[in-house]
Amino acid sequence: MTLYWIGDALLIVVILPVVVILLRGVLQTAQGIVPSVREVARVAHAGSKDLDAAALLLTTQQQAIDTISTVADYGGSLDVILDDHEGA
Amino acid sequence: MPAAGVVLLIAVVAVVGALVWFLVNTILALKTITDGLDEAIAGVGEIVAKTEPVNGVVTTINQHLDAGVSALEGLLVKKAGLTDAMGLIDGLYPGAAAQGLREVPDSTGVRVPRIGAVYTRGTLTLARLGREAPIAAASPNGPAVRNPLYATSSASALYPDARQGRPAAMPRSPVIGTDAPVQYQPTDEPGVRRHLPGRTAVLEPPGSTGESGAPPPAPEQREERSSRWPPLIPRWKRF
Repeated sequence: MTLYWIGDALLIVVILPVVVILLRGVLQTAQGIVPSVREVARVAHAGSKDLDAAALLLTTQQQAIDTISTVADYGGSLDVILDDHEGA
Repeated sequence: MPAAGVVLLIAVVAVVGALVWFLVNTILALKTITDGLDEAIAGVGEIVAKTEPVNGVVTTINQHLDAGVSALEGLLVKKAGLTDAMGLIDGLYPGAAAQGLREVPDSTGVRVPRIGAVYTRGTLTLARLGREAPIAAASPNGPAVRNPLYATSSASALYPDARQGRPAAMPRSPVIGTDAPVQYQPTDEPGVRRHLPGRTAVLEPPGSTGESGAPPPAPEQREERSSRWPPLIPRWKRF
């Protein structure tokens, strides 16, 4: 009978607090991750939305090509109508 | 059942209850984390998909811009010479000459002429066109005209004038002297002549100017008018 009482005391004084402390730590850590994960999800969604304008780069690319072509034509014309430098 | 068994049973139930409570809450928190990570992964996937063509597009744009810069640098050096080219660049963008031209490694060692200190920016823009520009019209086959003494007037002559009268339509200066082709008679009043060459009398008789009956100014008024400052000197007396 004495051993039963010792076992009860051990269970209540040692095992139960240890189990509670460990599981409480795990729960708090898991709950602390939740806001961070929600923030990451929100930022990822916002970042994806900000990149909607990335498709306009194709227009920018075409305009840059057209502009450089025009500049090249202009430079070619100048090359024809202007004399070269004496040392050139 | 002995009392010790009852206490043991209660303790075991308490331990199991604590396990269930914390583990269930932990599972719920992990489920929330999983949902949030799924959402984040979806957003990151969209970012990856949207940025996938950016690298190629930007590379293409840079290649074209590089080609344009190389062509323009080569053209400028070819037409203006390296020294003048660096002077023009430094005049338009102060300090840019220190970086030199990308395609001309020797351009960093050039002593840059201070073209920007002589000509305005608009003039430099015209000067970039070469000898066809008005700034160099005086020497179409020689070096560009760069006169530091008269640079201001030379630059101002390149800008449009409201009168559009410079220099061709400006009236020529009158020829004066005893042998001048047109002889002007001296005047008693500034701006009023008795006779103008080729015209009839200018000095209107009293009463013909619309102020009928107005007497001529008194001598003291004349004296007062003639003593104004600056004194109005007839043009013919100035020379």
